[in-house]
Amino acid sequence: MSGVAARFKATPGRVNLFNLSPAPGSTSTQKRLGRGRSSGLGKTSGRGHKGQKARAGNGKPKAGFEGGQTPIVKLFPKRGFVNQNTKTYAPVNLDRLQYWIEQGRITSSPEKPITARELLLSGCIHQVHDGIKLLGDGAEHLKTAIHITPSRASQSAIRAVEKKGGTVFCKYYNELALRDCVKGRTDRTEAAPTRKTDILWYTSWRNRGYLSPTALSKMPVVDERWQTLSKQLLSFKTQQYEKAK
Amino acid sequence: MSATAMLATIRRALGQTSRIASRRLSTVVASAPPENALLASEVLPAISQTSAPLVGSDESGPVSLAFAGARPLYLQLSSLIRPEENVDPSDELVELDPHVFAHPIRRDILHLCVVHHLDCQRQGSANTKTRGEVRGSGHKIRPQKGSGRARLGDAQSPMLRGGGVAFGPKPRDFATKLNRKVIQMGMRVALSARLKEHSLGVVKSLEWPGFKTSELQRRIEELGWKRTLFVTGQEEIPDGLRRAGSNLLGVDMVTAEELNVYSALKWPRLVLDLQAVEWFERALGRPSSVPPHEYGL
Repeated sequence: MSGVAARFKATPGRVNLFNLSPAPGSTSTQKRLGRGRSSGLGKTSGRGHKGQKARAGNGKPKAGFEGGQTPIVKLFPKRGFVNQNTKTYAPVNLDRLQYWIEQGRITSSPEKPITARELLLSGCIHQVHDGIKLLGDGAEHLKTAIHITPSRASQSAIRAVEKKGGTVFCKYYNELALRDCVKGRTDRTEAAPTRKTDILWYTSWRNRGYLSPTALSKMPVVDERWQTLSKQLLSFKTQQYEKAK
Repeated sequence: MSATAMLATIRRALGQTSRIASRRLSTVVASAPPENALLASEVLPAISQTSAPLVGSDESGPVSLAFAGARPLYLQLSSLIRPEENVDPSDELVELDPHVFAHPIRRDILHLCVVHHLDCQRQGSANTKTRGEVRGSGHKIRPQKGSGRARLGDAQSPMLRGGGVAFGPKPRDFATKLNRKVIQMGMRVALSARLKEHSLGVVKSLEWPGFKTSELQRRIEELGWKRTLFVTGQEEIPDGLRRAGSNLLGVDMVTAEELNVYSALKWPRLVLDLQAVEWFERALGRPSSVPPHEYGL
C-alpha cells in the first residue's frame, strides 16, 4: 500500500511563500527499498528469496522470452512486404471543412484556393503527411462553394463540391513541393509527376487532375509550364510510330 | 466613508469616463436605479499601508455586460506621483474582471506553481565521481585467496576509503512540466489573493519624472509601500522608474509578461498600472466560447 504524506492545513491569513501546502491526498511518500524492517521493504526489498528474479540486473533473459515456449512473435509466419512508395494522404471530409468555414477559420476563392498550408494553419489538419485527400463524408452538410487544390479527391467529394458551385483541382505535390506549399515558398519550381501512374492520374479530367486539358482551361491561375507539361505528357496518345513491316 | 460621500465619488468617477481608459467604467449598465445599485455594490479601498484583515464582498449589484454577466469589482486608484492639492486619486475607480481578480483562493494551485518555479530554478550541478571516474589503476589490490581478509578488486571501489561514490548525484535537470492553464489559474489566484488582502494597488501610470533615487525613496516611504513589486503593462519598464528604483532594496519592477506566480507571492505588495490590468484581463480572462456546430442529426 503506497504511503500517504502527512496532511497539514495552510495557516489562515495572508498568502505567503511559507504557508502553502499541497492539496490533501495529492501527495504520497516514495517507496524506498532496503531501509530497515519497519518500512516493510527491508532486507530482500520486495523480491522474495533467491531465484533469477531476485538478482541484480534485469532478471529476464531477453525481451519477449517466454521461458522456452515459442514466443508469440515467432508463432506466426511473416507475411507480405511493405511498399516503400506508398503515399499516406491526410483526409479532409466535407463536413469538417464546412464547419471550419462557418467558424471563419478558413476561407477560399477561385484565385486563392484552399491548399495544405491553409488547412494546417487553421487546424483542420494536424499533419500533412504526403498530401491531402478530399473525401466526401458529410457531403449533405456542405453549403458553401469551396475552391480547393488537394493532392487527391474522391469521386463523391468532387461531385458534392461542384454541385454547390465550388471547384476541385488535384495537384501533384512531391515531398519538396509540399514542404514549400506549407511554408509558403514560391521561389522554387514545383516538380512535375514522373511516375507513369502519377502522370496518368493527374492528366485525367475524371480525377480533376491539374494537367488535364479541361482543367487547364478552367483553372483561374495556371502556370505556363503546366500547359507545356500537359502537351508533352499527353503526346503519347497521338504519337505516331514507324511500324515494322 | 459615508454613504453619500461614497455615492458622490462613484458618480463623479462614472462621469469622468474620459480620464481613465474608457473601457474601465463605461460598460457599467445603468438599468437599475442609480442610488440602490451603487449603494449595493462594494468598492474596495485602495492598497493599504498595513495588512488589513480579509474582507468578503457578497452583495447584489449592477450586472455588467463586460465580464460575461459577472458582477465586476471596483478598486480605488492610487498614484505613484505625488498628486496635486485638491486631487485625491482614490476618487477614481477601476473596474476589475472578477474572473481574474476575485477568483476563489486555491492555495494548492499556488503550491504547485511555486514548487514548479523553484524546480526549474535548480542549477542541478551537484556532481560526484563514480568508481570509474576516480583516478587510479585497475590492478587487484590483494590476491583473491590467502590473505584472510575480504576480497577486493581495484582501489576505487565505493567500499574503500578514497574510492568512488556508489549512487552519488550527477548533474541533471530538475525542471518539471506544469499545465499552462494551471499556471494561468495560479496567476489569477495570486492576484485575487493580493487584492483580497488589500495588498494590490492600481495606478494610472508608472511613469516617474526624473532619475533621482532619493526622491523615489522619499515618495515610497510617504506612501508606505515598503516592499512592493511594480508591474507595468507596457513592453518595457518606464525609464524613470527603472533608473530611480533599480538601486532601491525594497522595490522591484517587472513587466506584466515577465510576472510569475512566485514573484507575485514573494512580494507583499503589488502595484499594477492600468495597462497591466488590461494585459492580465486579456491574458487570463474567460476564454470566448465558440458555439458548437449543430448537425441536427
